Amino acid sequence: MTPPDHSDDKPALLQPRRARQRNWLPSLVWLIPIVAAIVGLTLVAKILVERGPMVTVSFRSAEGLEAGKTKVKYKDVEIGQVQSLKLAADRSHVLVGIQLNQDASGFNAEDTRFWVVRPRIAASGISGLGTLLSGAYIGADAGASEETKKNFVGLEQPPIVTRDASGRQFVLHTDDLGSLDIGSPIFYRRIKVGQVVAYDLDSDGRGVTLRIFVNAPYDKFVTQASRFWHASGFDMELNASGFKLHTQALSTVVLGGIAFRDRDEERVSPPAKEGSEYPLVEDESTAMKEPDGVPQTALLYFDQSLRGLQPGATVDFRGVVLGEVKSIGVEYDKTRGEFRMPVLVQIYPDRLGRRFHEETGEQRRSNAQVLRMLVKRGMRAQLRNGNLLTGQLYVAIDFFPKAKPAQIDPDKVPLELPTIPGSLDELQQQLSDIAGKLSKVPFDEIGRDLQTTLKTLNKTLTTAEQTAARINNDIAPEMQAAMKDARKTLNAAERTLSDDAPLQSDIRQTMQELSKAAASIRILTDYLQQHPESLIRGKQEP
Amino acid sequence: MQKRTDLIVCEECDAVYQRMALGEREIARCLRCGAELERDTGRRLQHLLPLTIGALILFVIANTFPIVTIELQGLSSQTTLIGAVVALTRDGMSEVALLVLATTLLFPLIQLGVLLYLLLPGARDTRPPGFVLLLRLMQAARPWGMIEVFMLGVLVALIKLSNMAEVIPGPALWSFGGLTVLLTVVVSFNPRYLWHVWEQQQAEQYGDKEAGA
Amino acid sequence: MSVFTRQAAPHVPDLTQEPDEDLPVQDAASLGVIGCHHCGTVWEGAQPHQACGVCHAPLHVRKIDSLTRTWALLIAACIMYIPANMMPVMVTSTLFDEQRDTILSGVIYFWTSGEWGLALVVFVASFLVPLFKLVALGILVFSARRRSRWRRLQRAKLYRVVEAIGRWSMLDVFVVSVLTGLVKIHGFANIHAGIGIAAFGAVVVLTMLASLAFDPRLIWDERPTDPAADVSSEPLPEPASPHDNANKPQETA
Repeated sequence: MTPPDHSDDKPALLQPRRARQRNWLPSLVWLIPIVAAIVGLTLVAKILVERGPMVTVSFRSAEGLEAGKTKVKYKDVEIGQVQSLKLAADRSHVLVGIQLNQDASGFNAEDTRFWVVRPRIAASGISGLGTLLSGAYIGADAGASEETKKNFVGLEQPPIVTRDASGRQFVLHTDDLGSLDIGSPIFYRRIKVGQVVAYDLDSDGRGVTLRIFVNAPYDKFVTQASRFWHASGFDMELNASGFKLHTQALSTVVLGGIAFRDRDEERVSPPAKEGSEYPLVEDESTAMKEPDGVPQTALLYFDQSLRGLQPGATVDFRGVVLGEVKSIGVEYDKTRGEFRMPVLVQIYPDRLGRRFHEETGEQRRSNAQVLRMLVKRGMRAQLRNGNLLTGQLYVAIDFFPKAKPAQIDPDKVPLELPTIPGSLDELQQQLSDIAGKLSKVPFDEIGRDLQTTLKTLNKTLTTAEQTAARINNDIAPEMQAAMKDARKTLNAAERTLSDDAPLQSDIRQTMQELSKAAASIRILTDYLQQHPESLIRGKQEP
Repeated sequence: MQKRTDLIVCEECDAVYQRMALGEREIARCLRCGAELERDTGRRLQHLLPLTIGALILFVIANTFPIVTIELQGLSSQTTLIGAVVALTRDGMSEVALLVLATTLLFPLIQLGVLLYLLLPGARDTRPPGFVLLLRLMQAARPWGMIEVFMLGVLVALIKLSNMAEVIPGPALWSFGGLTVLLTVVVSFNPRYLWHVWEQQQAEQYGDKEAGA
Repeated sequence: MSVFTRQAAPHVPDLTQEPDEDLPVQDAASLGVIGCHHCGTVWEGAQPHQACGVCHAPLHVRKIDSLTRTWALLIAACIMYIPANMMPVMVTSTLFDEQRDTILSGVIYFWTSGEWGLALVVFVASFLVPLFKLVALGILVFSARRRSRWRRLQRAKLYRVVEAIGRWSMLDVFVVSVLTGLVKIHGFANIHAGIGIAAFGAVVVLTMLASLAFDPRLIWDERPTDPAADVSSEPLPEPASPHDNANKPQETA
């Protein structure tokens, strides 16, 4: 092989030689990765140190939460961050792993509560709007317990009152919830002072118990004499004094609310204790009126038909509404072998008078004594017609001195009051009397008499017939003659009165004259009407 | 074919030259087109290993921590390099995401990783397995590592954002800065010289062996 | 230290000599040697596509189908350049409106808000550089095809510049990526990448591939001036088909 010996020459040298120390340069270069490593480790260490405890909170859904981004805030201060989102093993909820900051280590106390703050529209208002922009975050309410926990169950709704809120809780009882909900506002003098915290159906299902929270410093206005009523929507009053419309706040029209006030504002009542129970009534007037006191349930047995009696019908005492009918039913009484109609009524004996209430000491027992006394005097319950047209009935309690004596057992629950048959019964009684009377009427005799009379009548008629025949035969010809004469007379009269008769034409002429005269007079009067001055001046020449 | 170690060919203009021994830190250039033919690597090889390790550490830091945090009206947001890639994928721009991932993560990592593997002390004595393939892989990846461009891009983005939000640099930003510097140095080492270095060592060893045998 | 020894040269060129493009040199193709593109080892008498003995990379005289590939990639990049500049690269949605930014509108935004430095940087990196690359590569391909002798040194330098700055046009892609990843404040401000950036990324990738495909040696290829030279009896290989080499008789053993 021939080396290409005319290949061109070498490349040009460019850089001058430089002498340099050798030894320290390599170690200097090693400084770089060492520094890098130190920096990295410092960063990692810093993060580890700043970490607080890790907790796991379970929620029903992870909506709005993002691992590594969503923050945990308390009073708007970031105390931690969501690290992971995992499905629970049984897939019923989501496990949110939260890394708390070092300075937030108190938040893993046992009674800490966690919830997701999202935009929410609730009875208490719209909350969490800021999260529309910033995304949801997890709110926390620090617990006070010494024990710590690692796993928490998150609340699905933000708690109405956080632990640091001051105020007091009270209990209300009502028949039905109406438009109330958790968070419904409580008003005092139209200012929102609290909210409904929880509600629950009573164990016997006959009512609802609400728990409310009144914030400090307004909680001192809840006294022992306070009355609570539904302040939802409109409150209309139509009575003798006119039409009144009350509302608390516009929000309550939609959301419902509760208002309260002292019944007697003149008297200063002591503030109620926490947890005091109150009834919740329908409206302000109901709340403000005289206390009904504790209603008494009574059972009335009627033997008659209850047609027309409905639950809600009034129980009336001489015009004063004592209570109302709660329910009616049918019962078969084996001992007596017949059907009975039990009617359950609720009466408020206190309505009978405040004095009545005041004079009796402890309510129930003295009520019993009074009742016994009244029954002895003849107090009975009776069904009466409320409306003759519709046939509606109501229960009237009244005194019937003539009533059959009855016993009352005050200790029986429900209390059973004696009854007396109602006005309808009386009517029936009367009818039966009439029927009885009617049955006494001797129809047979009358029938016999009638027959006799008829026979007589028959005879009379026959006689009359005979008389008529006689008339025909005897009297008729004479009558004929008389009639002929009459005819003649009539003809003469006719001639006189006929058209050509002179009498008639005379009469006619006279009539004509008369009418002419009348016409002239009419012309005169017409003229006079048009020219009244002619009376004075005379007829003018046209 | 025959190896001609006495010759060197210009890569850019194909001119043939006699191969000369280079003094310390000397560069041989083509006479016709001025392209670099050869250079004396000298001590640079020794520097390469620590620089590579340093670069790798910074690389890990730069990708673990957020590059920057912005705060706007109390809302904050931050991202890492991978976070940005994921965001791009989520927006539907998966091709761009792949491109960014490749040029800022994949190719630089290949370069650094291969270098580390090849330069580790144990590898000096014998040719490590896959030397050929790995070195060629590294050479192929070399033009596609763009971390320094990424660095500039981050700076531009930050300046753009500083107008509307508060910008808080994160640890990864400084890390990327350092990484840029280190990578520039590391990458400027043309891997082809590794071939010669290795050959040189081989010859030395071979020479020793022969001498010893 | 290196094993090579210094050899005395017929003439030593001046140290500060500038490259001379008209310097008569022998090129490898005419001498029948191939320098390995990967490891630099020079091989004599190698068949094209034979594996280099040192690094096992395939040896070729010129890059395969260099001009064709470069041309094709260049055209594709030109096509993608249009949507890259016309379609929005970034969509900024705030609470009130949605703003679509193209590359140029981003530059204008910087300019009008007083950030002249940034405006310049983005303009150069995202607009000028790709344009420059397209034009430069176009010139290179065109002149190489014609094997012109016009300013070969300048063209060689041009190629070096193209290679060096190629990666910097990725700047805007990274800016958009960082902004997309960072500004994701739900509902308040949200940035996401537009189609334009995908097209732009494609332009960058294609131009880089084009410059990698281009063989700079083609700048220097020319018709042989000395047909009677006994060494280079083989005709110059066509840029498009170096395979012909295999069919020509080898001079050296």
